[in-house]
Amino acid sequence: MNRRMLTVITVIVVCAAVLCISPSQRKVSAQSAPAPPTLATYNPYPTGILPSDINSELARVLREVNGIESEAIAQWHAIPPPTLTGNPPILKDTGVASVEILGKLMNFDKNISPNENSACASCHMPYAGFSGPIPSVNLLMIAYPGSYHYRAGKRTAQRYTYSSYFPPLQYNATQGAFFGGNFWDSRATGYLLRSPDAEQAQFPPVDPLEMGNSDTACIVYKLSLASYRPLFEEVWGAGSFDITWPSNTAQICAIPNAGGSAQQVALSPSDRTRSNADYDHWGESLSAYEHSESVSPFTSKFDAFLAGKYTLTAKEKAGYDLFRGKANCNSCHLDGRSTAPSPTNTGAEDTGTAADTTPVFTCFGSANLGLPKNPRDAIYYETTPDALGFTPNPAGYAYTDYGLGEFLRSGYATAASPNASWRQYAAISDGKMQTSTVRDVAMVPPQCPTTEAPGPYFQKEFFHNGYIKSLKQLVHFYNTRDVYRMNVSSGECPTGTTEKVDCWPAAEVPQNQDMTVGNLGLTSQEEDQIVAFMQTLTDGFTTPYPDINTYTGACMSGGNASTQGNSTIIPPSALMKQQSSMKQP
Amino acid sequence: MNRLHVKLVRIVAVGGLLFSNSMAAQTSPYSPKVLPPAPKAARVRITQGPELESANNNSAIIRWTSSNPGGSDEHFGVVHFGANPKEISQIAKSPIRLNQNHSYTVFRVRVDGLASGTTYYYTVDSMAADGRSDGVTSPVKHFTTP
Repeated sequence: MNRRMLTVITVIVVCAAVLCISPSQRKVSAQSAPAPPTLATYNPYPTGILPSDINSELARVLREVNGIESEAIAQWHAIPPPTLTGNPPILKDTGVASVEILGKLMNFDKNISPNENSACASCHMPYAGFSGPIPSVNLLMIAYPGSYHYRAGKRTAQRYTYSSYFPPLQYNATQGAFFGGNFWDSRATGYLLRSPDAEQAQFPPVDPLEMGNSDTACIVYKLSLASYRPLFEEVWGAGSFDITWPSNTAQICAIPNAGGSAQQVALSPSDRTRSNADYDHWGESLSAYEHSESVSPFTSKFDAFLAGKYTLTAKEKAGYDLFRGKANCNSCHLDGRSTAPSPTNTGAEDTGTAADTTPVFTCFGSANLGLPKNPRDAIYYETTPDALGFTPNPAGYAYTDYGLGEFLRSGYATAASPNASWRQYAAISDGKMQTSTVRDVAMVPPQCPTTEAPGPYFQKEFFHNGYIKSLKQLVHFYNTRDVYRMNVSSGECPTGTTEKVDCWPAAEVPQNQDMTVGNLGLTSQEEDQIVAFMQTLTDGFTTPYPDINTYTGACMSGGNASTQGNSTIIPPSALMKQQSSMKQP
Repeated sequence: MNRLHVKLVRIVAVGGLLFSNSMAAQTSPYSPKVLPPAPKAARVRITQGPELESANNNSAIIRWTSSNPGGSDEHFGVVHFGANPKEISQIAKSPIRLNQNHSYTVFRVRVDGLASGTTYYYTVDSMAADGRSDGVTSPVKHFTTP
């Protein structure tokens, strides 16, 4: 009762603060946006979900983000003066560097978020292959806190690396499957910009659970105030920001998105069109950065091997033979190699021609791997309204993540599908998530040189719901999912068994489970060999990976990779009990 | 102190120039594509199984290996089953993905909704994503749930 009362009062205070700022009283200043209203922190989580070091870790990442932003500013100023020439006009010599650096500046700009505390990079740092940079979040709450602390999404932060190589989402009738798109559920289809990667970059800035701007125009407004505005205008045109901003724009853009009731900036139709075009350029610039050699450079050991400049160790070679042979990994994670020699005759010499000299180790498709539901996922506990009256997930623990299927039917907690004819495939797509590239899955900061316990290691999280905590577990899951599958929830494996070793809890989405995997017959040693091969796909071997040295946090150590993270497993029944007691007056 | 600061700024700026040039040098030959369907084996047949991989009181997994059936990479293993050998009318199917680099394909099908302590009879088949059968034949086999 007291909590509810407090929430109502807070909403009233915030609304009153907004209304009191009369348009006639304020003129937009490019440099002095008013201080954003202070909102009560949103913390609906049972003990153990929100990491105890969350504030210091968010601050640590922000310092790292600021450091890379400073570097990007220096890189921008080092670009020679532009020469716009030709018809169509082209930035001669400097165009590629300019748009890539512009994307980098955007990626590390915390001012884009309503509370000026969250950049794109806050959830995607270079040393983690541009995935989640906070070990305790990867271990405990899975999704990252957004600009409005501590709202959080529902899935792991996907790596940027090679995301620009995914084609626009399409249903291929010959193959009987969907290919392309970005995001785990492929909802960034690329249907307009023809680049899923560019359209992907348009979602998080306005997702209430991530950056949380209330309107795409807010991002454009903040770009118009950014120090790198001249670079934007150089790349995309001098009149890009010829937009008449209403005097309450700064106020609207300082308030986090509260879902369907988010206030929009009142732009004229022509200004809205210009703003939308600028927002497309936002996505395209970020995609240029993600496609650049700063993010997706093809500089791994495996690339050196393909070029004949590196010899795989015996363990790596054994892993590669398993990857394309007995373990069948390359049925989805295409390695671009020829069919000679036979993958079953591992001793034979490879005399074939590579089908693809720079394979990205994905088929661009989707599959339901039958992962267990992860009770640690923050989204299950965001069932009460925050100070703006927004409830992220009214469904609570009953929420089931149907991935691609849910998107195709424009369903719960996803985006609208732009193609009604795809809806017929929703049921056969339930539970399917995008097949990630294997490249850079093992990327970690140099001082914590592995993802695997006992380390010293950098704790990552794998698959869409972060249930898997090490590459050893990942391969073991593919290998033994159907050998040790049990009809229990995570945290409730029978006495005498060990979760993730000889007990895999029930699939979150049982239908459409891919049966290519689940009982591969690999030994533990063979699993380790495949992990060793996966580690050869980390960029930075032939050329140092840019900004890999920016991690200033701690490494973890101890334990073993098979049970890594198991000490933090909590049965859902215990979490639910705790959560319901929190709701009591 | 100020001189040192200026020197540092210069180092960063020069490093940035070199770095931005290397970014501009991106020359990836890669272009995204979807592979064409796999070629079909001269004679598609079951080379191993079908056999029971595992069973509990309400589900089972049936497994077999075929010479490569070709066609769409998205494929389905199909199990026709029933408790009466003369009425094998129920169907279970599971998706698998063909490996275009392999000359064989392992099919595995999850059969749910079984009764405990019951003997089930089954045959198997496989089909492409468009529902077209690969045309393999299998003997009638059986298993009993615990």
